Amino acid sequence: MTIGGIDLFIVVAYLVAIPIFGVYFKKYVKTEEDYFLAGRMLPWWVISMSIIGTNIGAYDYMGAAGGAYRFGIAQANYEWIGALPAMVLSALLFVPYYWKAGVYTVPEFLGRRYNLAVRVIQALLWGLFLACVLGVFFWAAGLMLNEYLGIPVWVSLLVTAVIVGVYTITGGLAAVAMTDVVQLLVMFIGGVALTVLGLWTVGGWSGLVASITPTHPNHFKLFLPLDDPTIPWLGMILGLAFVLSPAWWCCHQAIIQRTLGARSEWDAKAGMMFAAFPKMLIPVLVVLPGLLALSLNPDLVGPDMDRAFPWLIRNLLPAGLAGLVFAAFMAALISSVDSTLNSAATVWTRDIYQRFLVRNASDRHYLRVGRILTLVFVLWAIAFAPVTQQFPGIYVAMQSLLSIFQGPTFAITLLGIGWSRATQWGGLFGLLAGVAISSTLYFAAGWSFLYVAWWSFVGALVVNVVVSLLTKPEPTSKLEGLVYGLVMKNGEIQDVLSRRADGGE
Amino acid sequence: MGDWLAGLPLWWGKVIAAAFFLGIAVWAWRRPRSYIYRDAPDEHRWRDLRVWASVLMAIQLLIYLAF
Repeated sequence: MTIGGIDLFIVVAYLVAIPIFGVYFKKYVKTEEDYFLAGRMLPWWVISMSIIGTNIGAYDYMGAAGGAYRFGIAQANYEWIGALPAMVLSALLFVPYYWKAGVYTVPEFLGRRYNLAVRVIQALLWGLFLACVLGVFFWAAGLMLNEYLGIPVWVSLLVTAVIVGVYTITGGLAAVAMTDVVQLLVMFIGGVALTVLGLWTVGGWSGLVASITPTHPNHFKLFLPLDDPTIPWLGMILGLAFVLSPAWWCCHQAIIQRTLGARSEWDAKAGMMFAAFPKMLIPVLVVLPGLLALSLNPDLVGPDMDRAFPWLIRNLLPAGLAGLVFAAFMAALISSVDSTLNSAATVWTRDIYQRFLVRNASDRHYLRVGRILTLVFVLWAIAFAPVTQQFPGIYVAMQSLLSIFQGPTFAITLLGIGWSRATQWGGLFGLLAGVAISSTLYFAAGWSFLYVAWWSFVGALVVNVVVSLLTKPEPTSKLEGLVYGLVMKNGEIQDVLSRRADGGE
Repeated sequence: MGDWLAGLPLWWGKVIAAAFFLGIAVWAWRRPRSYIYRDAPDEHRWRDLRVWASVLMAIQLLIYLAF
């Protein structure tokens, strides 16, 4: 299905306008901090919109709509109980400490709180994950441009590289965050247009419920029974709400990096907290379309259920709106690609290059390295994208790898910020033990990833506590500004942190 | 998971979710005012992030009780 006329005009206009807008912010980039943290000048509303733009990708449209077609509104748990409480926790507990520590990456914070080994493990995990995900995102963008604009896939990949690369390489985080704001607006306008038209077609909410409930009685229930093989309610609460979701919102480099670029501690906290409001509306864009597709066409089966969203675009939208929704689709994808690109370059520059290869070089040197690495990742993504198509298991493998680390990572980060007695050895062995537990449960026992996340979190927590109590406490000077209790009770430390945040130390 | 979990009724999920949302809201209100407003340009009521957290959790509570 290729689009033409007014739809083509809307899409091309959008694809041309985004890089032009992004390149405008090049003039603000003079230092490494400008490039990776937007000069620590981002206001809260930009941070919040950029966070959601980063979080929602084209895969969410496809996957969530397909999930809603299969399971109903239970799919919305991933956006609600599986996100919002964790965002509040992140805003009020984790984000202020990351921001005050003056770090560029989450691994850098963990390295400062625990030791170099923890930082290296985390940096390699994030560095590899973000690099592989880039290839997958590029391939998805190439396929979409190929299908809807009718241009060859390799040309589509180059077009994607130029669109995203131009402003991400030149403008850094500021360009990424500001374009994310525009992209989120496009996503919402396109998504709401589709949903409103769909609801009008099926006779409103009551018509939607009446058409689905007789054949799918559980499709309007948020919690599914415990014997549900995919998303049982207890797994949703223990695995998703208590572990995976906080791990994502409190420890994900690409998400957290926006808050590190905040102009003040309050903006960092408010940016994360306010992002929860648009996040709450995401099911309207990605879950409701799945239900609308089910109401209008209940005959999709198997893998075709994941095509519920494209089916809706093809069969429901008039000329003009199809282009707008396609632009929204591209916006979701591009806003995830640019953030991933920027974060991958940040981790590799700060945690690998700057720590192990060239230390104490000039600010301009690291700025140049950051730009070169961003370009390298663009070229890598173009080369790697077709490989992800030949080995579709790569994306699943990377997601599995991340989920194996998420429970233990959240456990040591939580204890690192919340408990001053946690030692470097507690953190390291907690992380390793948690990964061992999750690997055993996932690969050997074949457990659901929701329960794996929970038990690996508990295991890492227990090992961290036990080993910490058996080893020598960390000196207070090392923990200054990194642990909740110490900062809350000590005005002197708060002053040190303020100076550090202002670049004084 | 253990067999004993298999017997848990579905409404327990709603109870746990409701307690979770309320717990997060209460935890937010236990953050000191100075901590919430630190670095804020002023102390207007709308900048109180504890209020934002409460609104979010209240809406979640209503949604999970309704569905």
